[in-house]
Amino acid sequence: MAKRGAQLALDAEAQGLGTGPADATQMGSDQPANRPGALVSREPSDLAEPIVVPNTLWTSTDPMAYGGGRPADITHLRDFEASGGGRRDDARWSGLLEVIPTRADYVLDLIRANSLWPLLSGLACCAIEMMSAATSKNDMDRWGMFPFRASPRQADVLIVAGTLTTKMAGPLVRLWEQMPEPKWCVAMGDCTCSGGRYKRSYSTVEGIDRVMPVDVYVPGCPPRPEGLIYGMMKLQQLIKDRRGHWPERAIGPTVPEGI
Amino acid sequence: MTATSRRPPADDPRVTLDEELGVFEPIPPYPPRTEREAEFYSLGDGEMFINMGPQHPSTHGVLRVVMKLDGEKVVDLDPVLGYLHRGVEKLCENADYHQTISQVDPLEYVSSLFNEWAPVMAYEQLLDIEVPRRAEYIRVLSGELNRISSHALFMGWMALDLGGLTPILWSFIERDEIVEMLAALTGQRMLFNYFRIGGVNGDLNHDFMSRLGDWMTRATQQIESNLTLLNENEIFVRRMRGLGTIDSETALRMCWTGPNLRATGLPFDVRRAHPYSVYPELDFDIPTRAEGDCLARYLLRLDEIKQSLRIIDQCLDRMPDGPIMAKLPRLLRPRPGRAYAAVEGPRGQYAAYAISDGTDQPFRLRIHDPSFIHLQSVGLLVPGHLIADTIAVMASLDPIMGGVDK
Repeated sequence: MAKRGAQLALDAEAQGLGTGPADATQMGSDQPANRPGALVSREPSDLAEPIVVPNTLWTSTDPMAYGGGRPADITHLRDFEASGGGRRDDARWSGLLEVIPTRADYVLDLIRANSLWPLLSGLACCAIEMMSAATSKNDMDRWGMFPFRASPRQADVLIVAGTLTTKMAGPLVRLWEQMPEPKWCVAMGDCTCSGGRYKRSYSTVEGIDRVMPVDVYVPGCPPRPEGLIYGMMKLQQLIKDRRGHWPERAIGPTVPEGI
Repeated sequence: MTATSRRPPADDPRVTLDEELGVFEPIPPYPPRTEREAEFYSLGDGEMFINMGPQHPSTHGVLRVVMKLDGEKVVDLDPVLGYLHRGVEKLCENADYHQTISQVDPLEYVSSLFNEWAPVMAYEQLLDIEVPRRAEYIRVLSGELNRISSHALFMGWMALDLGGLTPILWSFIERDEIVEMLAALTGQRMLFNYFRIGGVNGDLNHDFMSRLGDWMTRATQQIESNLTLLNENEIFVRRMRGLGTIDSETALRMCWTGPNLRATGLPFDVRRAHPYSVYPELDFDIPTRAEGDCLARYLLRLDEIKQSLRIIDQCLDRMPDGPIMAKLPRLLRPRPGRAYAAVEGPRGQYAAYAISDGTDQPFRLRIHDPSFIHLQSVGLLVPGHLIADTIAVMASLDPIMGGVDK
């Protein structure tokens, strides 16, 4: 509600969000799409209605073919969005996981547990220890945790290493949402577990489990690289223990007893 | 505390605020606030914006840079800071003098000892304490070790940002050895919390000394062999030479200090210009280079490593016996006043300005951080170069975002 209100207030105050000249004719005429105001994102409801051209040219010989009996083959994007089908992440398995859920996940999770690809994302001090865990002396590669991916699209594990500030909270949640399922989150360091030494600050999030689900907590300020490796091994154990079923993700501690 | 009470309230403004403002758009969703913003966020013919960060593997943390491009050339550039703003200075106002040492630790998190050193020196001026000579020597010894580890990290990062993976594997060997050594001395690998007002926390111990002696016998040779990885690499040298050049006059005007300034030819070093601790008694050179480009900044740090090794040698030779802490009351209440102290950190002049109002908590602790000073010059150095060179120039300045955002 507040979000909508803020958006409206902004719109009313600065229509077109005058980041450039107020008059659009003063812009480069060859690239109208580059007008700064055009780049600002709109609400989804601002999308135009789909244009449906009625068929007035010919009729089928079968009276049941169109408009009766069978539903239309074409799904409009909006209906597809509402159905939630686009949010399912079984694109690589083309629905196979619904047919043979237990056995396939059982095997796939064993594979996943032994090839965790973390996201190369460091926020603060702990990132250095994360790099130390990945380089020569403590070689995380030995347990199949190495290839740090720079893109969230290719990563399995988000190691949140360092203090999460309120300004960074939005981008971090966006990163987490960009990662494909199945995905896991490791909170590295006191700051991400509980706020740590910055718990009383006005600008930090007191534990990342306020904004995203967490599988493994690795306390320490910063934890030693061995601590991170231990946490990642716990994550592997957790993946193996949970294989075959995926509990609904919730913001807040989701770690079962004994892990 | 139960699990449910840990969830944020639905109207917690701190979590949702930034999402509402849409921080991911290159263009801020509000009208321009300054003339500079209005100028930057309007596009000329054929120009486009590209957003780099805050999650980017080569921005050394959570720096966000909005670049205005013409083809692949950077026309203009707008760094957006604050993604790691932790409110350290405010926290220090609500902590007593001893506690502030642990609060300032994670600012420049690869050289934590210098973060402690400057405030501790400022407090000692306020309290009018004389630090025992053994404590000063231990400070210099551990500080120079920390400087080497910071420069070793720089070497690896720099090459990593340019696309070479091998040097970081080598430089982290050095870094891990030094850090383990310091862990034996201080109990922590990164955020040491070792310096105390009037001395240091612990005396040199056998574990530290044996690790140090072991490392010193092969440090020079190891570092030399690491250097050949990059110094004789023609791709690296040709890429870095002449990139991001700055003359000493401009550098001074932008308040540069440290290795970045010395790479433009000015031999300014706080250790010699405003001597502190026992540096006047030690014999070391201040390396300079005339070029002022990325390669000079890189090579100068390697020269500094050698000087630091010289200082460590002398410290070990001259280490006096005696106490490591001055005699102090438990609760410190300095007289009202102001004190300023600066140390030469691995990135430049790291300074603290403390104001006391007579209570046991500092009224104000201002941290002057070289990373922030150097990062503000990116807008001068980068325009005209390619996107890929932006990374190289920023890496050569060696900013640490913890220090920039505080």
